[in-house]
Amino acid sequence: MPITYERIKDLTAQLYAWSLRKVPDDTLEALRRARETESNPVAQKTLGILLRSAEMAETQDRLVCSDSGVPTFTIGIGTATRLEGNIKQAVSDGFDALIATSSPPLLKHVTNPLTNERGYRGKEMPLVTWDLLDGADYVDITCQPKALGSGRWAAMEIFTFPTLEQIEGYVMNCVLKAGSQHCPPVNIGVGIGGSFDYCAKLAARATLRQYGTPNPDPTLAAMEARLLKAVNATGFGPMGTGGDTTALGVHIEYAAGHGFTPVAVAFNCWINRRTRARLYDDGRVERLE
Amino acid sequence: MEEIRRLRMPLSQEDALSLQAGEMVLLDGEIVITAGLPTHHRLVECAAGTREAPRDLRGVGLFHLGSYSEETEAGGFDVLYMNPTTSTRFNALMPGLIRHFGLRAVGGKGGLDAACVAAMRETGCVYLSFVGGGAPLLSDAIREVVSVHWNDLVSHYRLVTLRVEGLGPLTVGIDAHGHSLYGDLNVAAEARLPSIMAELARKRAIAGDPA
Repeated sequence: MPITYERIKDLTAQLYAWSLRKVPDDTLEALRRARETESNPVAQKTLGILLRSAEMAETQDRLVCSDSGVPTFTIGIGTATRLEGNIKQAVSDGFDALIATSSPPLLKHVTNPLTNERGYRGKEMPLVTWDLLDGADYVDITCQPKALGSGRWAAMEIFTFPTLEQIEGYVMNCVLKAGSQHCPPVNIGVGIGGSFDYCAKLAARATLRQYGTPNPDPTLAAMEARLLKAVNATGFGPMGTGGDTTALGVHIEYAAGHGFTPVAVAFNCWINRRTRARLYDDGRVERLE
Repeated sequence: MEEIRRLRMPLSQEDALSLQAGEMVLLDGEIVITAGLPTHHRLVECAAGTREAPRDLRGVGLFHLGSYSEETEAGGFDVLYMNPTTSTRFNALMPGLIRHFGLRAVGGKGGLDAACVAAMRETGCVYLSFVGGGAPLLSDAIREVVSVHWNDLVSHYRLVTLRVEGLGPLTVGIDAHGHSLYGDLNVAAEARLPSIMAELARKRAIAGDPA
């Protein structure tokens, strides 16, 4: 059974709809743990309000946030799958179908950057990153809608042969610049190395990693742990009104490069919107997140 | 659970002045909301007298909340959901609006800058922080859609007046006496940065960073 236009269209639409209603389980768990350890009483209450909102959205089939953002998809195509039909078109049509049928309807967030006009459609929307998965008999699709709290404060700078001190200093500067504004506690993704575009993708990929799963490389795992402590020492806190919980995780990915080393820092708001599923060649659909 | 203070909207001067940054509150009464930059430009025109204000805005609570409004068969409006947007986007326009309309309450998420805090201190205005991603909770407080103006704009940009009951809990992010949690937190984080960087260096040394 090939992976068809219809199957891709239906699943991408479902993943987007689901991402607007369901805060990922790892994120709920991290929020609950933070509420237990948070020492600021207002921050502790705020974390409780966030958890209540997440629960209401999931159990009552409602949107967590009114800003449904713009859809981004990361799609890995297994080399052992058979594809049939216009797969790229399917993602775009899936988004159109969702807009047409969503209950409640979504707000118009797709923005023409030249005129600032907003609507439901736009050039190159949805934003898709394609990848190949050697030997896999499935297509792996992750949906991550992007709105202000998960896009506006991302930043990148290119260094030459930076020290770890410079890299970590840059991450901290980005954290201070975002301050109270990105609906903390956030998920922070850091990309180091590669090229300009590749580094940004590394940071975005890092934000997809689940809380509690450090980088397998011990050097990076140690860097993630110390940066998380450093970010939470800033004191911005939940919703930026003060507290110990500004970030729930720092995830770092790196790639070799030339020596001019880009460092990219991306943030996801507390909701950490992310859904993921696999379409198998044999017809199965496996929902991973 | 301790009782959260409830306030009648629009706020009285006395209530506005009585609030302290860091306090949590619930709102009852009438609020005006929009999440649109074009809407703020229109409000600036209203303040300048080059456009007629669609409603009296003196002393109201004007919040940076986006909402989905749709026309009902009876010719009125329903608001299906609402949620805050980032207030700092409107920093440049807010001091003029706060002063001209004598706003008693503004709000949204992320706070406002020092120029806004100064204007708020002059007029006796507070900033209330709404939780982002709080759409189910916040929307349940809507009791009545009083009016929807400027519906030539996309839904979240419209100027919507709502009657709410128990809206919140909200945190007083900036009080009318010039105390801003956001200002304090930025200053504190900047001040802590050298010691945070020193701690990172100490941990790198333990981990054996060659640098």
